[in-house]
Amino acid sequence: MNSFAAIIPILIVVLSAAAAMLAEAFRQPGERMPIAGLGLIGLAGAGAASFFLWNTDAQSFGVVHADNFALFINIILCIVGVLTMVFSHDVVEREDIPSGEYYALTLFAISGMMLMAAATDLLVIFLALEVLSLAVYVLTGIRRESAEGAEAAFKYFLLGGFSSAFFLYGIAFAFTIAGSTRLDQIGTAMASAPHATLAMLAVALLAVGFAFKVSAVPFHMWTPDAYEGAPTIVTAFMSTGVKAAAFAAFLRVFLSTLQPLEGHWVPVLSVIAGATMIVGTVVGVLQSNVKRMLAYSAIAHAGYLLLGIVAANDAGKAAVLFYLLAYAVANLGALGIVALLGTPEHPHDQLRDFAGLWRTRPGLAGLMTVFLLSLGGFPPTAGFIGKWYIFAAAVERGYYGLAILGVLSSVVSVFFYLRIVVMMYMTEEAAAPARPRVSLPAMTGLAAAMLATFYLGVLPTRVIEYAVDSVKSIF
Amino acid sequence: MLSTIVFLPLVGAILVLLLGGRGDRADREPIVRYAALAVSLLSFASTLWLWIRFNPSTADFQFVEQRAWLPQFGISYHLGVDGISLFLVVLTGFLTPLALLASWKSVHRNVKLFSFFMLVLETAMLGVFVSLDLFLFYIFWDAVLIPMYFLIGVWGYDRRIYAAVKFILYTMVGSILMLVAIIGLAYAHAASSGTLTFDLAALYGTTLSSSMETWFFLAFTLAFVIKVPLFPFHTWLPDAHVEAPTAGSVILAGVMLKMGTYGLLRFAFPLFPNAAAYFAPYIAGLAVIGIVYGALVAMVQPDMKKLVAYSSVSHLGFVVLGLCAVNVNGVQGAVYQMLNHGVSTGGLFIIVGMLSDRRHTRLISEYGGLKAVMPRLVAAFLLITLSSVALPGMNGFVGEFLILLGAFRWHPKLAAVAATGVILSAVYMLWMFQRVNYGEVTNEKNRRLPDLSPREWAILIPTIATAIAMGIFPGVFLRPIEPAVVRTVDRIHNTLPASARSVISVPHPAPRVPHPGVRERTNE
Repeated sequence: MNSFAAIIPILIVVLSAAAAMLAEAFRQPGERMPIAGLGLIGLAGAGAASFFLWNTDAQSFGVVHADNFALFINIILCIVGVLTMVFSHDVVEREDIPSGEYYALTLFAISGMMLMAAATDLLVIFLALEVLSLAVYVLTGIRRESAEGAEAAFKYFLLGGFSSAFFLYGIAFAFTIAGSTRLDQIGTAMASAPHATLAMLAVALLAVGFAFKVSAVPFHMWTPDAYEGAPTIVTAFMSTGVKAAAFAAFLRVFLSTLQPLEGHWVPVLSVIAGATMIVGTVVGVLQSNVKRMLAYSAIAHAGYLLLGIVAANDAGKAAVLFYLLAYAVANLGALGIVALLGTPEHPHDQLRDFAGLWRTRPGLAGLMTVFLLSLGGFPPTAGFIGKWYIFAAAVERGYYGLAILGVLSSVVSVFFYLRIVVMMYMTEEAAAPARPRVSLPAMTGLAAAMLATFYLGVLPTRVIEYAVDSVKSIF
Repeated sequence: MLSTIVFLPLVGAILVLLLGGRGDRADREPIVRYAALAVSLLSFASTLWLWIRFNPSTADFQFVEQRAWLPQFGISYHLGVDGISLFLVVLTGFLTPLALLASWKSVHRNVKLFSFFMLVLETAMLGVFVSLDLFLFYIFWDAVLIPMYFLIGVWGYDRRIYAAVKFILYTMVGSILMLVAIIGLAYAHAASSGTLTFDLAALYGTTLSSSMETWFFLAFTLAFVIKVPLFPFHTWLPDAHVEAPTAGSVILAGVMLKMGTYGLLRFAFPLFPNAAAYFAPYIAGLAVIGIVYGALVAMVQPDMKKLVAYSSVSHLGFVVLGLCAVNVNGVQGAVYQMLNHGVSTGGLFIIVGMLSDRRHTRLISEYGGLKAVMPRLVAAFLLITLSSVALPGMNGFVGEFLILLGAFRWHPKLAAVAATGVILSAVYMLWMFQRVNYGEVTNEKNRRLPDLSPREWAILIPTIATAIAMGIFPGVFLRPIEPAVVRTVDRIHNTLPASARSVISVPHPAPRVPHPGVRERTNE
């Protein structure tokens, strides 16, 4: 029971974060240090540990459960982390981001995310949420001289703190009912008294807390500002990592512990899912800043993921996992390209900055196209299989209305993804400043993301099997 | 074997990308062009070989390949051709090299990417016609959009971006609802039979509640009629056609519109026969409106390309009418007319492209008296025009005749109105032809235009030869088509309750098809 096995992946990441801090402390001014390499080693170790823990069902301290579900999320997070590290190498120095803090905070955030996916106690989930949130707040404002960054961090922090309070309040109510914060005990207690007012309150408050973190409408207000103001590489990281971790906990709490109360929360969440899809796509159409546009796209994708939770069937649960992976790869790729092309003087985040990219950087334009098509859900990319899986889950439960809303909103989203494509291929280049070169490691990372996008789109069977296995372990 | 045929162009596309080197290199242009042409010719040869090896006497799917793909959902990689899809495959193989040749001089910017998208498009279109699994079919169906979007948007004319975005959004709205219907159908089938599958053969004959059947049918049909395009869903077509480069128009008109009619025949009608029986008269009504409307609008177009685009609306109306009749004559004629339209309208777009390459305008008023300047081009133009207006002896006649025959046996009034479209098409085509080619040379710029080059001969001779051959020896083509058509028609009828059967078609026996080379059909 008290084995440390379940927390080994988390420990490895924490250790590498600590190493990154130490390395920064011992760095001479002006000395260049491959701190990203430390992160890569740590993430590779965590990934390997997760791989070896597969099917072992390890538990630690009774509150951390490294079941296949958590391990699947771990792998997604390792991919997110590795890609972020690989892209950061180019960006951090150019953007004058303090590298030691940056890498350490990123790794701490990842450890928090992993803990969040594996925690089976509401308090531990809260703890993990705070670990990752604090790290991400700081990362958002890490460029201290940037006013937008400070504003974004402040907004994010305030609203995030607010949502944490809701979440904690929800935990308190749950504790009142069950006399424990352990998920299994709460589940039993809820099942026996599913109509208690306190149970309703607990569910509602927990839902609000999660909805903030996954940026579901109407709790999405912070998202566009935070995503726009943060350094692009941080946007890439938080739009994928935070989302994966938050959805993991969302899924675990709502579809195992609170499943008995499904009749109460499904109607609410379906409204939220529908609104999220609509707002994300419709407002996204109006944006001319690519980061803001991708922020709204992130909101829309949260709506599709919520649809998987609303479906509340086996297909829906596995679909959420698969979708998180597909979305992470494509979104990191797309935002990674924006980050890699930006310089402090010229952030390269306006639509028109992409004009004629195809002429000067055909490779990057091609990669960007693949990622955008995947986000838009075109076959044969990962995004299509992900959407298909989610909508299949919804249709299986008879939620035709939501499925139709989902597919139509995804057509609207195609419109704004294509605006970038139009810029890259069909518009003549404006007199833009020279775009920076992209280093070989970053290019390799992008190529790997593209291959993953096609692999998941053409031969998804294996990964779907793993996803199905993962959800079997807890639900 | 089918996999090889389908994915050969994709392999070629990647080859072209590698041969082209980094960026837009002008020095690599010839090698890229010849490589793409060679791949497309090889691909055409492979489709011809398919035709040779095809057994025309059976209605079964041939060259079937089936492998588990996503076994969790009962999705398999399932390919096969029957008489209905065989010639659409051949047509795709036939038109792609022609389209590449037609853009030899007109496309200069980044030929590498252009050839890449043309070949990717070919793979996607071939995939649509040979997929026997609904999921696989949908993947190819959607994948067609991307390369065509780029072809219009990058190499098109002035309003290309608008046209490209309109094209992709318009067609996506329809097809994405079909996606929901596909999933719904599979789950409904799973509910009644216990196994989840997306295999077409298994899903035929699924029992559905009547409201479900209606909705699924409408979702499928919306996707297909937008693609056709049926009036009033046709508004994307003139924009896309006019703004697309010649190669894009040829493929769009020649093959992609047929994806819609093919979809109706293969999926929408046989999967949901009761709903099809109910809605067939309405769809046919829209088709007939489209025939007349398309013809009338075509008549007043000042732009040749737009005229041909609207003529497509009119011609495809005939195809849909033939399908809605759901009898062997009508459906066989519709399938045949799909091929005819591919050849003759493809040819028309190529000719308009040739004129526009020379003069950089497509306005009829800019031309006049070309016969004296370019007698050979005009002769070819005439033959293709006649094929398009369905002159007896040319290919168009056989198809339209069979369609009208089938339609008369089903719904004489609709057929009578549709028949006026035959006359109208002669009016607008010949009037356009006359204004462009006869009379005095009114515009000095037309005085010294060069006649056909060897490359253009190489495009036009196969086109015209095919048009004439299909007019004189229709039996060669109709024979392999017939068993599959009979089976499909029977499938639509057999699953119908007896009461609905009389609504949709005249029962057997079928009358003799009075055309030489057309075998009499007996299926009693």
